[in-house]
Amino acid sequence: MNIAMALQSFFTELPSVTGYMYPNEYELHWSVLIVVYPYLTGLVAGAFILASLERVFNVKALQPVYRLSLLTALSFLLIAPLPLLAHLGHPERALEMFLTPHTASAMAMFGFVYAWYLMVVLLLEIWFDYRQHIVRWAKEKKGALKWFYSLLTLGSTDLSEKALAFDNKAGKIITIIGIPSAFLLHGYVGFIFGSVKANPWWSSVLMPIVFLFSAIVSGIALMLLVYMVSSMLRWKTINMPCVNKLAEFLFYAILVDFSLELLDFIQRLYESEESIHILSQMISSRLFISLIISQIILGTIVPLVGLGLARFGRMPDEMRRMIYLMAALLVQVGIFATRWNVVIGGQLFSKSLRGLTTYKLEMFGIEGLMTAIILMVMPFIILFVMTKLLPPWSEGEKDIPVPPKPHATQVGQEA
Amino acid sequence: MRKIPQQLIPLAVLFIVLLGVLVVARQLFVPKTFGDLGHYRATAVDEVAAQPAAYAGYRVCLDCHDDIYQRKQLSSHAGLACETCHGAAAAHATGESDQLPTVPRGRDHCQLCHGYNSARPTGFPQILSNMHNPGEACVKCHDSHSPRMAKGNGECSACHQMIANQKAVSSHMSLDCTDCHTVPIDHATQPRVVQALKPNSEETCGKCHARGSSAGAEVARIDMAEHGGRYLCWECHYPHLPEAKL
Repeated sequence: MNIAMALQSFFTELPSVTGYMYPNEYELHWSVLIVVYPYLTGLVAGAFILASLERVFNVKALQPVYRLSLLTALSFLLIAPLPLLAHLGHPERALEMFLTPHTASAMAMFGFVYAWYLMVVLLLEIWFDYRQHIVRWAKEKKGALKWFYSLLTLGSTDLSEKALAFDNKAGKIITIIGIPSAFLLHGYVGFIFGSVKANPWWSSVLMPIVFLFSAIVSGIALMLLVYMVSSMLRWKTINMPCVNKLAEFLFYAILVDFSLELLDFIQRLYESEESIHILSQMISSRLFISLIISQIILGTIVPLVGLGLARFGRMPDEMRRMIYLMAALLVQVGIFATRWNVVIGGQLFSKSLRGLTTYKLEMFGIEGLMTAIILMVMPFIILFVMTKLLPPWSEGEKDIPVPPKPHATQVGQEA
Repeated sequence: MRKIPQQLIPLAVLFIVLLGVLVVARQLFVPKTFGDLGHYRATAVDEVAAQPAAYAGYRVCLDCHDDIYQRKQLSSHAGLACETCHGAAAAHATGESDQLPTVPRGRDHCQLCHGYNSARPTGFPQILSNMHNPGEACVKCHDSHSPRMAKGNGECSACHQMIANQKAVSSHMSLDCTDCHTVPIDHATQPRVVQALKPNSEETCGKCHARGSSAGAEVARIDMAEHGGRYLCWECHYPHLPEAKL
């Protein structure tokens, strides 16, 4: 046998394992889909918490993104369980957690948290908020749309002042209920990881809190992105007080989130348990790009500096918008990297604390990159359809002024 | 009495309907004995218990194959049950079937445990299939009921581990170091003073590779007078890994 072939097959069969791994840690069980799942739920919780700022805490500058936030949260919530279902492989069994609830299983109980958040918080709030418009559209529209809106009214067509006041009050109460629900929804995801006592990378009481704040960061950044891009696509001027306020909140949220993560890190270092060596080794080798470069430098420090300069410095609005957009994009990269580092990082080192393995992301297939991309694009498609059916745009938006066309002869001269 | 707001009524109806659907679904789909013993269907236990046993258990094998069992118990395979390699044998043991249990004679079965995997403990015997006597059945060299390295070169490999590793995956793996090398007894204690000798003629290789040698049919034969001219064998072939092309 050709020695070159033998060596080649030796190295292809030999996986990138350093040190010692237990046989069941050799390949990762939780793939990129489990990274996508907390990323999506984080966006849901973050977008909803942002909406609550306008509704409950009366931050009027955020009014242009209030409804858009609710629809975004709903679009992402509808897709959030799909990565789990795709990963587990038996989607039909998901409903069994409602039929035979297992109160001792945190994962089974999440089904109820999810259902509560979907049915009682988001759908109800959107319904109360849109009800007067739905009733009006049911009267104005024709054909299938008329039927659609009529169905959405659920037969409640009362548009009296008293009824509208009740809608408003109910919406506010639901938002108040929704805040702890959003905390629970995403705090739960952190809790699932944080309560794995055997895994020193996950086991931390700070985990739910860190998850929650990173969710708020990602949600605000997402709304900044969605609002700016949707305004540009619809050729509408961007409401600067609104994006300034979003950028300000984003700046503070990143600051708190980063401080919490730093606190967690410092405490781990100080505590210096027996796992610290393998974790340091993992950070400096396997997670260097995703943690140090993507999460900390690109996803946290650069946006923080950019947002700080753009929000509190002096510069033209055009430049400011550009920086906000870039910062929001980088934050998304950073938060995705955060999820990646938690989920994948927690499986890269051996529980013997003596070795590191490698995660090989497959391209296609149910647990592959393509599935992850499709799952992350789907909420935007749903959001697009929703904004067509339930337009969230505030009245009085101005078109972007079109520059006057140059005179024909001038064009000719220039050419 | 205050009037209930109109919009609450359809919502309440909707939620009651959803709850109703859940209650009906529970009645229809949750098995009657679910939860009697734990968070599962209690009758599932009886159903599983009623399934015919496919495995007989090693004690049944002992009745007829005691000699093999005793040999196995003295080896490093002591912890393996007979049916781990020979498959489910209940039908054979009870005489229900004339079919004998399977005997894995290929290369795949042994590799379930002995194929190289970095996660296996250090020192556990592992091979890279395409480098370790490719094409040969494991049982040709190893007795699975009393497995050990086909031939031990423990004394030499203590110092010459790299060569031993190469030879262990080559077609020369069954040769002793002393088949080719003359090793004075003092070499072990004074390796630099008393050196082991390398073969200095083609006859050493010719013992197996010359036409008319008594080695197995699978060993390559050459005409010692014609092949290689004035060169010695190891000037072109590397004896510790003859498969390697120099």
